[in-house]
Amino acid sequence: MKYLNPRHLVLFILLSVFISPLLSQKLEAQDKKKIKLRIKADYTKVIDHSSFIDLSTIAKINKKNAGIANLNLTIISKTDDDEVELGQATTNHDGKVRFLINDLNKLLKDTLGFYNLRVKFMGDDSFKKASKTLSFKDAHIETKSFTKDSVNYVSATLKDVHSDSVLTKTSLKVNVERLFKSLPIGEQFNYTDENGTILVPIERGIPCIDGKLVIEVILNDSDDYGTVKALVNTTFGKSAVIDNSFENRTLWSPRNKTPIFILIFANLLIFTIWGIIIYLITNLFRINKS
Amino acid sequence: MKTHKTILRDLKPKKFGKRDSIWTISLIVIIIIGLIAYIDQLIKGQEVTNMRDYALWGIYISNFVFFVATSFVGTVTVAILRLTKNSWRTPLVRIAEIISVAAIIMAGITIMIDMARPDRLLNLFIHARLQSPITWDVVIIPTYIVISLLLLYFPLIPDFAILKTHFKKKKPKLSKFYGRLALNWTGSKAQKSLQEKSIRIIAIMIIPVGLLLQTIDAWLFSTTYRIGWDSTNFAPYFISGAFVAGVGALVTLIYIIRKAKKLENYITDYHFDKLGKLLALACLIYLYFNINEYVIPLFTAKKGELVHLETLFTGSYSILFWAVTVIGLILPIIVLMFKKGRKPNSMFIIGLIVVIGSWWKRFVIVTPTLLHPFLPIQGVPESWHHYFPSLHEWLITLATLAMAFLIITVCVRYLPVIPIQRTIDEMEASEANNKNTES
Amino acid sequence: MEDKNKSSRRKFLDNGLKLGIVSAIGGLGLSKITSKLNAANDDSSGEKMELMTTDGTLIQVDTSEVIEVEHAKEHDKKYNVREGNPNRKFVMVVDLAKCKNALKCQSACNKHHYITGENAWLKVYKMQEEKDTAPYWMPMMCMHCDQPACVTVCPVDATFKRKDGLVLIDNERCIGCRFCMAACPYSTRVFNWGEPGQEVTLNMDMTHHTPSPEHAGIPSIKGTVDKCDFCPHAIDNGELPHCVTACPNGVFYFGDKYEDTVTNGEETVRLSQLLEDKSGYRLMEGLGTSPSVYYLPPVDRLVDFEDGLEDFKEFESVEPVSPVEKPEQL
Repeated sequence: MKYLNPRHLVLFILLSVFISPLLSQKLEAQDKKKIKLRIKADYTKVIDHSSFIDLSTIAKINKKNAGIANLNLTIISKTDDDEVELGQATTNHDGKVRFLINDLNKLLKDTLGFYNLRVKFMGDDSFKKASKTLSFKDAHIETKSFTKDSVNYVSATLKDVHSDSVLTKTSLKVNVERLFKSLPIGEQFNYTDENGTILVPIERGIPCIDGKLVIEVILNDSDDYGTVKALVNTTFGKSAVIDNSFENRTLWSPRNKTPIFILIFANLLIFTIWGIIIYLITNLFRINKS
Repeated sequence: MKTHKTILRDLKPKKFGKRDSIWTISLIVIIIIGLIAYIDQLIKGQEVTNMRDYALWGIYISNFVFFVATSFVGTVTVAILRLTKNSWRTPLVRIAEIISVAAIIMAGITIMIDMARPDRLLNLFIHARLQSPITWDVVIIPTYIVISLLLLYFPLIPDFAILKTHFKKKKPKLSKFYGRLALNWTGSKAQKSLQEKSIRIIAIMIIPVGLLLQTIDAWLFSTTYRIGWDSTNFAPYFISGAFVAGVGALVTLIYIIRKAKKLENYITDYHFDKLGKLLALACLIYLYFNINEYVIPLFTAKKGELVHLETLFTGSYSILFWAVTVIGLILPIIVLMFKKGRKPNSMFIIGLIVVIGSWWKRFVIVTPTLLHPFLPIQGVPESWHHYFPSLHEWLITLATLAMAFLIITVCVRYLPVIPIQRTIDEMEASEANNKNTES
Repeated sequence: MEDKNKSSRRKFLDNGLKLGIVSAIGGLGLSKITSKLNAANDDSSGEKMELMTTDGTLIQVDTSEVIEVEHAKEHDKKYNVREGNPNRKFVMVVDLAKCKNALKCQSACNKHHYITGENAWLKVYKMQEEKDTAPYWMPMMCMHCDQPACVTVCPVDATFKRKDGLVLIDNERCIGCRFCMAACPYSTRVFNWGEPGQEVTLNMDMTHHTPSPEHAGIPSIKGTVDKCDFCPHAIDNGELPHCVTACPNGVFYFGDKYEDTVTNGEETVRLSQLLEDKSGYRLMEGLGTSPSVYYLPPVDRLVDFEDGLEDFKEFESVEPVSPVEKPEQL
């Protein structure tokens, strides 16, 4: 056996032809460059309700930006010399997750009143390490609703909590809270006066359920304070006319709401005809017996 | 004059000959092939058909409508001819009743073939909504099946009694079978009055029920917004169409059964002449409603309707449309005008044309409308713009037709196709009449 | 004789039923097997994830349990699935002046509803009434009519109208008679003619998806009808339907009629004001179906009609998916 048997050689070549694609695929997967990941973070505070950070991850896949699901993000609160891990969050199928901050006092605050957060992604098989820093101060909006000379108003005062001072000449937005996106009302910009206050008349006739209108006053996406939102419960709305036709007996109702005329007509026909049929069948028995 | 014995000998059920057996076996083969195709459809889903999101109903539905229409023959011949006291109906009614039973049973089965989820059949009862025309159909079809069966059965009872005694010695098993069906019939006064009363009730009841069946069938279409279906004319249009289809089927089958069973002495040229006139009447009425349905809309046709009518008159369905209208409807009327045209042989051909025309007529009613929705057909494969049945659909449809034929064949084999007792009674009556006039 | 007929018929029915059941079981078994195969790949459990409970506290859960939590949630909705959100009435406004057939709505809809067929739930029609009238692009979805012709004709209450305006389909009940499709004047309903094959085509695990009338396209069931559902799964999360968020031109507005507010994600406006300012109308008003979708006429268009032509596909509305192309992370 000096030489390799040509038959074996053929076999070997054939085998390698079949195996090589598998091998190269594996190699390719290992060689594949890790994808760069971007993290977005937005701080929002709803007065008397909650504070949270909306996180989203984005990466370019197949030349398209897409949210990345199931990524573990670590949220850390830090100052120049200290840091505390607040928790972790995993992105949903859209690559988004909301991280709730239950108590701002648990966060570390620097001397200027800023909270500094760092959102970190450790990296995995397909994505590179990524992080995002976010800093904000705590602000407060105090709201009031009242009626004067039969005009409805909402007033709001904006304050910096750390320094306990009002914020002047800052634009606040006034919206009506709605299911999806809030409906802006009044002027586009409402600048706070020297008392840090705005006064906004609320137009009449805005429809809502039972006249209960929720007005929101928002400091939107401010560099220092993030988004701060205050909700005011008022009764300034006009009750919407609820369509009760759902309860009616209609042609398109479910069967427990079949129109009466159809019920009567159909049942009358069915019972008459089947009554006669049953009579005819009993006639057969009577013929059989007599 | 014929004696009772010859009548009985002529009319009693007879064993199949070789030709009959070949016929029956080939029917069974067609049914089995169709059954295999149906099982395949159950497994793969209705993607084996050529129906798609636009042509969402196909020949299953048009075949269903055809069966429903054909089943109307029981109503027409038995009830209407009875009420109008047309005594020439005697040798024809039984065959009409048999066709009626076969057609309505097959209608019930065909509509289930069109259901994509036959495994959920019970939902139709569990969750029935009375607002839906389909629920009305679910009610009316079993009702009509039962009434048709009763209509077939009641007049058969005396005949079963006769056959029971006839076969007593030669074929005890068969005799026992007929005996059970004869319900101890002795021909006593009480039995006779019960039977006659029942037949009278059925004959009257089957008219509204038959009309209702055709009407509901029409409402399946006319309760939609579709161009070509959304028509108040639809119910009478369907009723008259059913009249044509039913009588056409009757003519054709009577001719065949007469040949096969050698009943020339009982079903004579006279009967064909009368049937021919009835068929001509049916076709004329149907033509009238066709004019209402297709010509009058031309005057007020909205845009979509005009497109629909143009497709039928000059477009892609024009050949079929004119074929079913001219050959299937107008030609029979012309031929049937002449006495020669009402002779058995030409009647058979006319009947056959009418039946085939009726079948394709349903296709013309169902398909073109579905391919003319209000909005343009876009974003679907090119093949979805047209419809022609797939092999599966043809095989299954053929099988349903074969099954209808099989039911008829079995009935013809075991039932006296011409009422024996009635023929004897009528003969005696006419003999008595003759004697009276002579003396 | 007739007894024999009857019994043979019954037998036939019986057999038909049995066959149906057998095939259904067979289909079920198949899907189970495939899903198991898929599950084997995904079974990398042991990871923890953070979840927010209804009262706002964060809890840690094993990822494998998450689906079951969602699954349970679907059963104890705050409202009856057949009656819908109380005190809501959802409407959509489509601004034809902005539509240039970018088809992002369609691809988003197809993607999020896992559409595998050849007919999308949402289509953009190339419309031109007459030779001399101007052509325009018209997105079409289910009109969610207040007097729905499709619901009227359904024999088994499988498709139904809700208080909040939605017309939905219970695919567990649908018998596949297609009467609703025949009845719909907008031709918006699609049918699963064969096995939808979402496990195969979309490489999805179907084990945890129990069908619900708010089924969002999963799982689609063979022999039943599907159609645009106004995305109740998104609405429940306070999100807009996928077509609305996907549209780069802000064509679609969505909202609650009782709030008189619609939004396209960018701008939020009063519904009545919008319809008044741009003279909104509804499609085929003459039929009396009273749709929940309004159209704004294609006036003062910002884009040329011709721009949309390059994306126009006459014979396709669902891009074929090749499972290989999909990155595993998605």
